Amino acid sequence: MYSVASLLLLVGMGLALWRALKGPTVFDRILAVNVFGTATVLMVSVIGFMGTSRDLVDIALIYALISFTGTMAVLRFVEYDEDRKRAEASR
Amino acid sequence: MFLLAIAFKACVTRNLFEAAMLFGIFSFLSATLFVVLDAADVAMTEAAVGAGVSTILMLSTLAVTGHSVRPGPKGRQMLSAAVAVALGLTLIYATLDMPKLGDPTAPVHTDALAKHYIEVSPVETGIPNMVTPLLASYRGYDTFGETAVVFTAGIGVLALIGRRRRKDGSLVEDGKGEDATVEKHRVLRVVSKQLIPAILLYAGYVQAHGDFGPGGGFQAGVIFASGLMLYMLLVGIDEAERVLKPRVMELLIAIGLLIYGGVGVINMLQGGAFLDYTTLAHDGQHGLHYGILAVELGVGITVTAVITTIIYAFAGHMRARQVEGHGHSDAPEGAQAQVLEGEGA
Repeated sequence: MYSVASLLLLVGMGLALWRALKGPTVFDRILAVNVFGTATVLMVSVIGFMGTSRDLVDIALIYALISFTGTMAVLRFVEYDEDRKRAEASR
Repeated sequence: MFLLAIAFKACVTRNLFEAAMLFGIFSFLSATLFVVLDAADVAMTEAAVGAGVSTILMLSTLAVTGHSVRPGPKGRQMLSAAVAVALGLTLIYATLDMPKLGDPTAPVHTDALAKHYIEVSPVETGIPNMVTPLLASYRGYDTFGETAVVFTAGIGVLALIGRRRRKDGSLVEDGKGEDATVEKHRVLRVVSKQLIPAILLYAGYVQAHGDFGPGGGFQAGVIFASGLMLYMLLVGIDEAERVLKPRVMELLIAIGLLIYGGVGVINMLQGGAFLDYTTLAHDGQHGLHYGILAVELGVGITVTAVITTIIYAFAGHMRARQVEGHGHSDAPEGAQAQVLEGEGA
């Protein structure tokens, strides 16, 4: 069961990766990275349950908490960037 | 295979924002790889650093320098390509000497020292996670050196780009545009406010639980700093600077290292060797536990403070550019920002 789950997750990760590589807009990429992050969280926990070590759930938790910070930073950056472009255009 | 594809694309693309995003995925993947290899502590470090902090640092660099590659002179391009290729080939050559994955005759399995650590350390120290005593006790000097490196990196960033000062030496404190945008995002504010305490608490857990599971000072420091960063993103740098004073953060960089070194000095005063924790309590093992906890705390404080300080330094530059962009800056600032841009390119 775990191996099927991890295989499916791998497929999902591949699809997200494809989107991230292909683009075309910034938001496609951000969303792809976000999806990839979620898939990683799941993957790490699945691997954790596959083996004996339950510690790996800790790592999955860190990802779940911190990738949010990362995504927010990216979005703030895009916003800041747009602002700056607009300011430059209006000058 | 995925890793290769990403690395290639990240090098080829000229849009640096795209590259930063791809490095995010790269980090996710390498953490998964570490998990597969059952290196929980390394995976945790990668998770803590790669998911939040490194992306934020790269993006703030982009915000300061602008985000497309300007091709340099041909000769220098060739030189850097040659250096990169040579380094890559050397590394690949080095991997040829490495034993195959899972090879039972690999030095990891046969070496006497590794065997000693695996068999004796849980009994000798009473700490189930053998990475922690290895880092903090058996190789305490190494880790002390690493903490000093982090300390030096923080000081280096401060010395190189520093906090923005006007010509007369006063700090640039007015940032108008940065905070004004936050008021719009109400949902984000509510969600983040719920999440920040969870992240900070979790950092405390990782810090204190390092003896029993993966974790320790470095990881906890980075996680704590990520929580603080979320706060900065949420309320804006100016508000955050009022709460977490940059001066205090700069002091904390030194204090963390002092805690680590201080533990060693206390050990010496009590008649042991430098960083010989067993002198800390009557029972040697208890002394070891106290020592490791104190040392990890020092590491955590230094790491948190360094990361926060670096972010402040970057934010100061971003703010200066923003003020300039909005057209109400005084001349010397604008000139300085242009000089910096020139250096960054």
